[in-house]
Formats: sequence, C-alpha cells, structure tokens
Amino acid sequence: MNMIAQLPVLPVIVPLVLAPITLLLPKGRAPHLYATFVSWATFAACIFLLREVAEAGVLSYHLGDWAPPLGIEYRVDLANALVLVLVSGIAAVVFPFAYRSVQLEIDKHQSPFFYGALLICMTGLLGVTITGDAFNVFVFLEISSLSTYALIAMGARRDRRALTASFNYLVMGTIGATFFVIGIGLLYQATGTLNMADLHDRLAGQNSRVIDAGFAFILVGIGLKLAMFPMHLWLPNAYTYAPSAVSAFLAATATKVAVYVLIRFLFTVFGFDFAFLGAAFTWVLLPLGLAGMFVASLVAVFQEDVKRMLAYSSVGQIGYMLLGLSFATVEGVSASLVHVVNHALMKGALFMAVACVVLRAGSHSIHAFAGLSKRMPYTTWAFLISGLSLIGVPLTVGFVSKWYLLTAAFAAGHWYAGFLIVASSLIALLYIGRVAEVMLLREPATEGKYVIAKQDAPLSMLIPMWILVAANIYFGVNTDLTGDLARRAAEALMLTAGAG
Amino acid sequence: MAALLDLLINNPAIILTIGAAVTLVAPRHLASPILLVFTAASAVKLYSLGLGEYGAITLFGEQLTTVRLDMTSRLFAVVFHIAAALNIIYGWGTRDRGQNFATLAYPAAALGGVMAGDLITLFIWWEIAAITSVLLVWAPGTRATYISGMRYLSIQILSGVLLLAGIVLLYRETNSFVFAEIGLRDADGAIKLSALFMFIAFGIKAAFPLLHNWVQDAYPKSTINGTIILSIFTTKLAVYSLVRGFPGQTELVYIGAVMTIFPIFFALIENDLRKVLTYSINNQVGFMVCAIGLGAINGAVGYAFGNIIFEGLLFMALGAAMYRTGTSKATELGGLYKTMPMTMVLCIIGALSISAFPGTLGFVVKGMIIEGAAGFNLWIWLTLLFASAGVLEHAGIKIPYFTFFAHDSGKRPKDAPLGMLVAMVLGAAMCLGFGVYPDPLYALLPDQEAVAKYHAYSAYHIVEQLQLLLWAVLAFAVLVLCKWYPAEVPSTNLDTDWLYRVPGRSFITWASGASRATWISLWGIFTGRLQAVMARIYSVHGPEGQMSRSWPIGFMALWTAILLAFVLVLSLRA
Repeated sequence: MNMIAQLPVLPVIVPLVLAPITLLLPKGRAPHLYATFVSWATFAACIFLLREVAEAGVLSYHLGDWAPPLGIEYRVDLANALVLVLVSGIAAVVFPFAYRSVQLEIDKHQSPFFYGALLICMTGLLGVTITGDAFNVFVFLEISSLSTYALIAMGARRDRRALTASFNYLVMGTIGATFFVIGIGLLYQATGTLNMADLHDRLAGQNSRVIDAGFAFILVGIGLKLAMFPMHLWLPNAYTYAPSAVSAFLAATATKVAVYVLIRFLFTVFGFDFAFLGAAFTWVLLPLGLAGMFVASLVAVFQEDVKRMLAYSSVGQIGYMLLGLSFATVEGVSASLVHVVNHALMKGALFMAVACVVLRAGSHSIHAFAGLSKRMPYTTWAFLISGLSLIGVPLTVGFVSKWYLLTAAFAAGHWYAGFLIVASSLIALLYIGRVAEVMLLREPATEGKYVIAKQDAPLSMLIPMWILVAANIYFGVNTDLTGDLARRAAEALMLTAGAG
Repeated sequence: MAALLDLLINNPAIILTIGAAVTLVAPRHLASPILLVFTAASAVKLYSLGLGEYGAITLFGEQLTTVRLDMTSRLFAVVFHIAAALNIIYGWGTRDRGQNFATLAYPAAALGGVMAGDLITLFIWWEIAAITSVLLVWAPGTRATYISGMRYLSIQILSGVLLLAGIVLLYRETNSFVFAEIGLRDADGAIKLSALFMFIAFGIKAAFPLLHNWVQDAYPKSTINGTIILSIFTTKLAVYSLVRGFPGQTELVYIGAVMTIFPIFFALIENDLRKVLTYSINNQVGFMVCAIGLGAINGAVGYAFGNIIFEGLLFMALGAAMYRTGTSKATELGGLYKTMPMTMVLCIIGALSISAFPGTLGFVVKGMIIEGAAGFNLWIWLTLLFASAGVLEHAGIKIPYFTFFAHDSGKRPKDAPLGMLVAMVLGAAMCLGFGVYPDPLYALLPDQEAVAKYHAYSAYHIVEQLQLLLWAVLAFAVLVLCKWYPAEVPSTNLDTDWLYRVPGRSFITWASGASRATWISLWGIFTGRLQAVMARIYSVHGPEGQMSRSWPIGFMALWTAILLAFVLVLSLRA
C-alpha cells in the first residue's frame, strides 16, 4: 500500500478509529497516555500532509474509491493543510498538558470518556477542515459539536453552571448546524451536487432566490458556530465553565475551524461570480467584525473572571478575522488566515496559564491572580508573554497579525479600519494590563480562599504551555513560514474564487 | 522579516524600550545598572548611525521613515540620552519596577518621537509617551495621584487624538505622511483645519496658556525622581514638534510671550517649591515657543538643550532636600545649607544657569533668543527681558533661598546620597562647562550659519544681562528686607484649572446624571417591548414560568433570527 496515496485520509481515520478504544482502557493514567499518543500520531500525519501539499500542490482523495462528485472527496490545499496542522498541533500540546488539570477537575471514573470525547472532538474538527464535500462538513461539524457539549458539561463537577452553559451551547449550536444544513439543502436543490468544487462550477452564472437564501442560511449558520458578534452569547459561558484543558483546546481550535469553513464557502463554493458576495462583505462581515472588535473587547475589560475575560476577548479577536476576510483581497484573506493560526497560539497559551492557576489556586477569578509573580513565576510569565502577543507587541505573533491586517486594511483603502484596529488593540492593552497589574504589583493574599502556596505548576503542564509561548515568539520573529504559507493559500483561494 | 528586525535594532528608541522591558524581568537590585547599560548602548547606536534616514518601511503604499536624524533631531536625541542617564544615576537603586520601567520607556518614547521622520511614527510614539509617563504620575500609589494621573492621561490622550485627526486631514490634502513644515495657514491666509488640530495637539503637550494646567496638576504629585523625569520629556517633545511643524509661525511669538509671563506670578506666591519649578517649566518652554515663532531655531533648540540640564539640576537639588526632609514646602524648609552644603552649591549653580548669568550654559543659550526678539518687536523684547528677570526671582533666587537659607527650619539632614550627588555634579559640570566652552553645543545646532555670526560673550550681551540680573537681585533684596516679598504661607493657590475642576465637574456630574436617567428610561421602554415580543415567541414553545430561565437562549436565538432576516433582505435587494 502506498502510504503517500493514503496520507490525506489519515488525520481523520486514525483518531476516529482509535478514539473508541479509549473507553476500554483502565481508568486513570492509561487513557491519557493513549490519547496523547494518538494526538501525536495525528499531528505527525498532518505535518507530512502539509509538506506534501506545499511541494506537490492540491491533493485529492476519493473515499472508498468513489469518484466525486458522487463520492466523498477529501481535498487538501494549503489553506486547510495549515488549519489541519494547527488543530492537530494544538491537540498534541493540550493532551499531555491535560493530565494534572483533568485529575483535579474531573471524576476519575469519567477519564476514559473525557479523553475519548476530546479525541472525537479533534477528529470532527479535522474532518470539517479536510473534506471537500459540503454535506460531509455538516456531519463532522456535528461530530465535533456533540462531543464538545459533553466535554463542557463535564465542568459541572467544579461548577454546576457548566450544565446550563453546555445546554445553551447545545441549543445554539444545533440552531447553527440546522441553518447550515438548510443552506446546503437549498444549494443541493439548485445544483444537484454536494461536492464543493462541483458546486462552484454549477453555481457559476446561476442567479436565483434559492441560492441567495441558501447563502444566507449558510452564512448565519457558520456565523453562529464561529461566534460572530452578536451571535456570540453562547461562547463566554461555554469557555468559562468548561474544564480548563477543554477551554484551552476549544479556544484555540473550534472557532478557528469555523472561520476556515466560512472562508472555504465564501471563496471556493460561492466565489466572486456570486452577485451577493460583495454585499455580504460590505454589509455583514465588515460591520459585525468591527462591532465585535469593540463591543466584546470592552466587555472583556470589565470581567472579574479571567477565563470569561479571555472568552470575550476571543469574540473580539474573531472580529479581526472577519474584518480581514471582508476586504476580499489576497492581503485580507492571508491576514485572516495568519490571525487564525496566531490567535490559536496565543489563546491556547493564555487558557493554559489559567488552567495552571486553577490547579494551584482553585479559581479563575482575578483575585486568585494577586501577586502571582511571587507564587507561580513561570505561569505568570507565560501569561504575560502571550498577553503581550494578544495586544500585538513587536517580536510576538500578535504583532505579525496586526501588521498583516493593517497592511491589508490600508491596501484595500479602508483607512478608518486601520485606525480602529489600533484603537481596539489599546482595549486589549487594558484588559491584559489589568491582569498584569494584579499579577505583578499586588501582594499575594495572606488569608481567605485565594491563598496560594509558593509552588509553580507541574512540569507536565509547564512544558506544553511554554512550547506554545515559545511558538508565540518564534513565529513572531520568523514569519516566513506562516506568512508565506498563508499568502500562498490566500492566492490559491482567490484564484478559485475568480478574483481579478 | 530580516527587514523588520533591522527596523527594530537600528532604532535607539527601541533599544531603550527593550532596556526598560528587561528591568521588568531582571532582579530588582540590578535595575539601575541595566538601565544605564541600555542607555549607553543606545547612545553608541545613535553615534554610529550618524546623520541620515533609517528604518524605512512601506506601509499602505506610503514610505515611512521611522528614524530621521538631522541636525535638529540629533540635538534632541543627544540631550535626551544625557537626561536619561542623569536620571538613572540620580535614582540609583530604585526598586519599584513600574518606576524603573517608566524611567527608560518614557524617554524612549520621547526619543522615538523626535526621531520620527513621518507623522504615523510620531503619533505612535506620542501615545506611548502618554501611557508610559502616567506610570510615573501614579508611582506614589495614592488615591490623589491616581485621580490626578487619570486627568493627566485623558488630556494627553486628547492631544494624541487631535494629532491623529490632524494627520488624517493633512494626508487628504497633501497625500504624504512626511513630517515637514506644516504651517498654520494656506496660501490665502486662511487657517487650515488639519494644521489647527496638530497645532493644538502640540500646544497641549507644550502647555500653552490655558492648556497648561496638567503640568501643575500632575507633575508635583509624582515621586521625587518621577517629577524630574516628567519635567524633561513631554514638553520638549512638543517643542521639537513645533520646531519641525511650525517654524517662524508668528502666532507662536505671542503665545510664547504670554507663557513666559503668567507663570511668574503664580510661582511667586506658591508655597510648594516643586510646584514653583513646574511653573518654571511653563515659563521656560515659553522662551522656546517664542524663539520658534521668531524663527530663531538655534535659540529654541539650544534653549531646550540648556533647559533640560539646568532645570533638571534645580529639580534634582530640590529633590535631594525633599528626600532628606520629606517636604518641599517653603514654610517647612530653610537653613539646610548648614548640613547640605554640597547640594546647596550645586543648586546655586543651577539657579545661576537658569537665570543666565554669564559663564553658565543659560547665558549662552538665552542670548540667542533675546537677540532674535530685539529684531522683531520692542514689546516682545521687553516682555522677554521682564520674564528673564522673573525667572531670576522665582527660580534663580526663590528656590535656593527658601530651601537652604531664609528662616531656619531647624532641620539638620545629611547631605544628598551619593547617586544624587553624582548626577547633580555631572549636571552642574555641564552648566559651567558649556557656559565657558560652548563650542561642542554650537556644533550640534541646526543653523550653522547663524552660529557663525553669534557671539555669546560680546560686551553688549554681558552688560545687558548683568544689568538686568543685578537690578533684579536688588529688587529681591529690597522686597525681602522691607518684608514686602510675598511671605511663604501654607496655602493652595487656584489656577485656571479650578474652572474645569469645580464648576466643570459639577456640570459633568449633572450631565452624566441626566443622561443616565434618560438612558434608564429608554432602556426600560426597550426591554419592556422586547420582553413582550419574547413572551409571544415563547408562549408557543413552553410554559410561561420558564421564560425567565430560558431567556438567554431565546435572546441568542432572536439575534440569530434577526441576522438571518437581515441577510435575506439584503440578498433580495442585491
């Protein structure tokens, strides 16, 4: 069997087949080690895939040898290869990280279920990313969402509010998925196909109300999944009450994959031939992106709970990605893709730092962070460096993102957007600065429930966290890899979209 | 990416910023040496760069120059390095991380500002300077300083916003970001809106009359070292910006003249000597602004150079007295010469220099301005002479007299600590050194032709200046002997900022109360309607008792529906 020929299917099939085995393992350490191993194997497969795609160009894999458009096609180009590596990479870091955190936050007898669900969630996200079939996207979206609902609900051991958060997300996520599948259905009615590339060909030149309505449903459905303002209300609670490791994984991957799906549908499926696309950029994505950047960031400033603050910040950061997209230029889309990757790196590290604090202090309230630099210096600095990255300080990935976005904004002639990007970065300075002030300048609590012993997080957590922090700096200095790949991916996307 | 790295490394301001950041991580006792090493490294970089333009980047199709070193900006860059180094030595051993960070990050921002070759870079550093300097205002950590700091920050940010507005408008007119001469009026003599915005932005930072209160409000509230650092950079960055943007703008002559006069009266009756010195900043910047208006650019930048050194020296000497006694009130000081002789001598050197006694740096640089004024207008010339006498009264005599002599307070503190003494000795050495041998300073001045014609120690200059000074000293002596001099009384003097602090605040309180009431009533109507709508939606789906519990989901779903409707309507129109 030629491994290279089978490569595109591995990132999905490996975890999908191996995940259920987790449930058979004895409770405790074994499921964790096993799941970590699976995530690393998947990551390796994704890396090979990215290398292959970067050299050989688009790979197409026909599932079960059924030729598209009838059969399901896995289609890997640079854009989704990049997201695949991102998702599996974050998973490869979060799995080893999770052990101590999960030990504290989740019942021991649930641990096989937890790791199994997390693997399934990862599989779903990878599947959404890799597939070239519109309906298959829906299937994998549901696979990842269902496991996510379960994972968030597992936070109930620490805080019962996780149950309502999970339920809310369940309802909202289902609405989003339903809208999405209605949209797919309308497109299928109009074209008779589900393959994305085929859809693109058949949609060309068509102009009907059915397609318009399909587009509207798909846009709103995915918008809900990626927490586009003002449909973000499910996200803060879900991220706040989920187990710490789950928050770190979801914040870094779930919304990013949804952004990718949006890009894929806007450019690959619909493309510039679709008359309504321009209006959607100007009247939906641009204003909602800008509104999210400000409203959510401002809300973040006033949060007393650091996890919640980071969650609102995520909504704001998604605003940047939508803004980049809405320029509908190569620069804009590549800025958006770069920010997808970079934001995953910083938010992953930030949520991990919070997980470390929860492990030692038992709380993610801002009061638990008082004087943290004296108690948990390595965690403090991991938080600070990723926080600086979030603000967009030079030599971090955040700066690279902002730089690409600014360049794109000005190149697209959106002057005011450029200044608004800078202004909203100042809001990020406020909310990160607030935590920084508490960590660096306050004295640690000497009595009450926030007293922490002078003991940093265990190495099993520090090492994965610092790998992400180092990535924040490494890709901040060496932008060739992300910047170049994102640009090539964006160029390819724009080409299929029929720009120019 | 290599280009970006190059951009960061070849910029002295970035080197200083990195140094400041390092102190946040390094052990506290190493902070001062680290700061000094980075200042030295930055100075070496400045020297090795030489004149020219560096760090060019293309942003949104426009060429930006992040580092522009010509004669004008280099002079400011040099003196900023000197001042930063003196401040670090003066505050040697400071352990407060926030203060140590600001000690270099704030000068770095000012440095970045003066080296900016384009307006975007200027704006960025302008805002960083505002944010880093407020850390110094906040450094004492009391509620009063916090509130004062917020006032300070809002005014500084306002200045930045005005600058940004001006930049955007200017770009629309000229299609260029280059920071060159702007000029307040267009060819027809009408005032340009873009220039006006920038003029006011610069004016706020330069503390133009009626825009000046933030200086007295915020500066004296900082720590000893903090006040010294604050006194140097913000106003000088503004002076530089005015030199670059509005040289020879006649309006500046009159604004500057007013600036030199009015602080004198406040300074004379003020009891807190640190506040006296902050009034002195206004007065001194007035001389520079006036010189810019006169087109005497050498005078303006030369005076900025000199002022940073001798005004800094005065602040340092007073700071040393305050460090030892815990107060800067004239009523509580006095008689310190007995036990702080070194500080006293150094303070008097600073006082002589700020009063422009021949043989000091002040004399050399002030001559360039007065000479320019004589050729402009008799009244302006007289105003500046009068103001010079006023400087002698409030800064030259009042500060040393009430600190070290006057009535004996009975305090017998030790002399200043070593770090403070070293910094003050260096400052005093520069005051005297450049006073006797000003050639190195001359070599740095932008207008070398004017330098060639200028002779500081002409007989006329010396006689004129001595006459002025001796008469002013006599006046002081007579006033004190006859007990007519405003006695030191513990009091709070109201400046025009009272207008916005008292009636202004009550207005704002009223306005915010009124708007809140309006908002609450509107919100009530809105939520009332919304609840009715939600109730109707939910009457189908579930028992009414559960409405409150499912409200959040319903709310989210409603948003989704609204958005879908919006997109559908949009698609119908498209």
